Amino acid sequence: MLLSRFWYLILALALTAAVGGLFLATSVYNRASSSAMEQALAADKQVVGWYLNDDARRRSSLLLKAVLDETLRTHLAKASSSQSKVPEESRAKVRDALRKLLDAMPKDVFTAMFAVDQYGRVIGQVGFDQASGNPDFELGGYPVVADALHGWVRDDAWVLDGRVYLIVARPVEVDTAQMPAGAVVGARVVDTSYVRQISKRSGAAVGFFADGAVKAKAAPEGFDPTKLDTIVSDIDKLAKDDDYQQKGFSKPKVLMGDVGVIYSKIPGESWDLGAGYVVGRAASKASNPLDLVQMADAADKKGIPWYLLGPLFLVAAALGLIFSFFEHTRPLHTLRVEAERMAKGETDMLQVSKFRGVYRKIASDLNDGTDKVAAKGGVPRKAADLESVLGPIPAAPEMSAFSFPMEGGAAATAPSSPGAAPISKPNVVAPPAPRSSGVQPPPPRQSGSAVQPPPPKEIKLPPPKPESSAAAAAPAPKPAPAPEPPRDEEDQTVVSAVPPEILEASATGAHAAVKEADEISEWHNIYEEFLRTKKQCGEPTAGLTFEKFQGTLRKNRDQLIQKTNCKKVKFSVYVKDGRAALKASPVRS
Amino acid sequence: MTEHNAVRVYHSRSPRLRRTLRMVGAWLAVLLVPGLAFAAVVKGQVKGHNQLVNPVWEEAARPESNHYTWREPSPTVRAEFRTLFGLAPKELCIVGIKKGDVAPPSVPTLITIGGGRTTPVTIVVAPGTRLRFRNSDPFKHKLYAVNEPSLMPSEMGIAAERDWTAPKPGTYELRDELAPSLRSWVVVKPGVASIGYPDRSGAFFLTLEPGDYTLEAYFAGKPIGKPREVSVSTRDVDLTKDPIVVAEDKKPEEKK
Repeated sequence: MLLSRFWYLILALALTAAVGGLFLATSVYNRASSSAMEQALAADKQVVGWYLNDDARRRSSLLLKAVLDETLRTHLAKASSSQSKVPEESRAKVRDALRKLLDAMPKDVFTAMFAVDQYGRVIGQVGFDQASGNPDFELGGYPVVADALHGWVRDDAWVLDGRVYLIVARPVEVDTAQMPAGAVVGARVVDTSYVRQISKRSGAAVGFFADGAVKAKAAPEGFDPTKLDTIVSDIDKLAKDDDYQQKGFSKPKVLMGDVGVIYSKIPGESWDLGAGYVVGRAASKASNPLDLVQMADAADKKGIPWYLLGPLFLVAAALGLIFSFFEHTRPLHTLRVEAERMAKGETDMLQVSKFRGVYRKIASDLNDGTDKVAAKGGVPRKAADLESVLGPIPAAPEMSAFSFPMEGGAAATAPSSPGAAPISKPNVVAPPAPRSSGVQPPPPRQSGSAVQPPPPKEIKLPPPKPESSAAAAAPAPKPAPAPEPPRDEEDQTVVSAVPPEILEASATGAHAAVKEADEISEWHNIYEEFLRTKKQCGEPTAGLTFEKFQGTLRKNRDQLIQKTNCKKVKFSVYVKDGRAALKASPVRS
Repeated sequence: MTEHNAVRVYHSRSPRLRRTLRMVGAWLAVLLVPGLAFAAVVKGQVKGHNQLVNPVWEEAARPESNHYTWREPSPTVRAEFRTLFGLAPKELCIVGIKKGDVAPPSVPTLITIGGGRTTPVTIVVAPGTRLRFRNSDPFKHKLYAVNEPSLMPSEMGIAAERDWTAPKPGTYELRDELAPSLRSWVVVKPGVASIGYPDRSGAFFLTLEPGDYTLEAYFAGKPIGKPREVSVSTRDVDLTKDPIVVAEDKKPEEKK
């Protein structure tokens, strides 16, 4: 027993530890996943930053061909020599030259190209259609253009009408002894195709935002780029993000619980305009241990050490079975065998030495109890209960439970002279003759000590005493004819005269058998009334024989007498909740 | 008479007649245009303007400004040209200031917004001068005056105009919410009679009525150089031989 209990304790501890371990593993997994995601996001941000830098340098180098173009150099120098109106011829030639240069460059390197003179005026441009036909269009105020006009090469990022442009500019030189004649500016709008390039080469989900909206986004396979749209609600908060404002990039954040992001500003004018890019990764979080199971793929499942878990399971199960066998199955088997031997009379008592632990105590107690009973010479069994007589009680019981009014309380509702009327009536409902078939009263138990009242027909009445003159003087009633067996035991009620023996015994009123007969006669009346009432209530009466009925009454009578110490119990029929019911009332006088 | 015949008659006249007609036209112009009758042209020259570093560009060139991912000099451009001096024709304002009040012009003074700056960048005006801002860019702007409630940010579409009159004398810095590089200065000062901007070589001219004036130079909203007193009569004044020094030449090691 101890081992089994100890084993249950171990199993409970192991189960608790396993569940706790799963929760711990979930927490550790989430922390590790979060840390890995943050590192990956930081790397993504850096990679995108490097890509932008390298891409700017690459595009700047592609401008070398433009700054060496003779047409551009000539006409930019010509335009820069005078502040007066730029000749239309120069504009046209510069525009044509830019078109040729742009066409000769790799696709999608530049969206637009501009040639700017020393005054900052745009002498020619291609690709920026909104400025076409605007002779006053200039770019000289932008630092990147001013830098180029003063001999610097650099990049920038502009936000024009909500669109992000990546800019590179180079000086156009004609005479090294003079200032550059002008500058060539290349612009690349950040659109989906450009972001797709970045995402493809960096392997990160990237989105560019400006004016509080995502302007372009792309993501590698397996990541839904629309998840980046969720940042829209978060962009406004960046103004209050100290890290973002000071360092230019935010700490990793998890949005909507399923996507981690880092915001970064784009170096350039866009830095001051709130434009930037965001890199995102799917956040892998387990909300409960079951999620871990769902997240596991075939490779994970393959990695489980079944060679350890299998034997562990077998050993644990075997130990449990062994413990339960030795501590439960085996002692019970011994007890069963010993009890059978005792029942067969092979032994008079259980052999305590064959038992251990609590079973030894049980066997010892049983032996003690048997000895005590034997010493008393046996005791009568208690009356069988209703169920043991009638069999299993149906869901809708055919007989209601008895009510036992307390002393003096329910007596008011009981008949005023209990037990007097049925016997004194000339026509007494006699019990039906027992049939050969049907339910018989339960036979006496093995003990044989329980006193069962004999059936009415077996009552041997004593001869009438001579001193009962009243009864003797009265003419003895004719013996009632033997009752015929009912043709229909459910519907027919056999009414017969009271047997003369009973009447005679009743007249003397002194013998116990007469009392018993009186009671049975009374019960028979109750039985008939009960059947009648049940039929009136529409209740079935099949199977309710008098033998069962009187057994039930007897049992309840005995219980009530034992409980209240009364002399007699009066039964009456009444209707309760639309059903026939019996009431037992103790009679003390 | 057709237009073709009229041109032929005009060209058929003698040179003397043509000269007479031109003189009559000139005198009519002088007499009919107020304030121009006795104005004189003051020609001048500034020196050191290529040392005036544009504060916006200079600030943007600093690495900590985060305005670029990389910036490097073009090896073929001489170092002296790599200084980010401002464009004098737009940024260096030469102003002729007369003692006493001068009535503001009756027509608005135009300032165009475009190319990441305004033109001019610095302007000096008399109190009550109405300024008219015009967006010449093909995209929107949102101009405002720093700490000046009378010129709050307001979106200006393509070719849109916006008038503003400075409430009182002082220096007003203008910025654009949509173009961080745009920084301009409006200096409101009593007695401003005329303003002019030098060309890239530093030469400038002002048209002034006869009187005593002080010539001052303004760059990035601040007066620079030493003011020059000038007396104007009906004749033009030539100051080119004695340039106005707006900035001292830096020693080679001081140049960036």
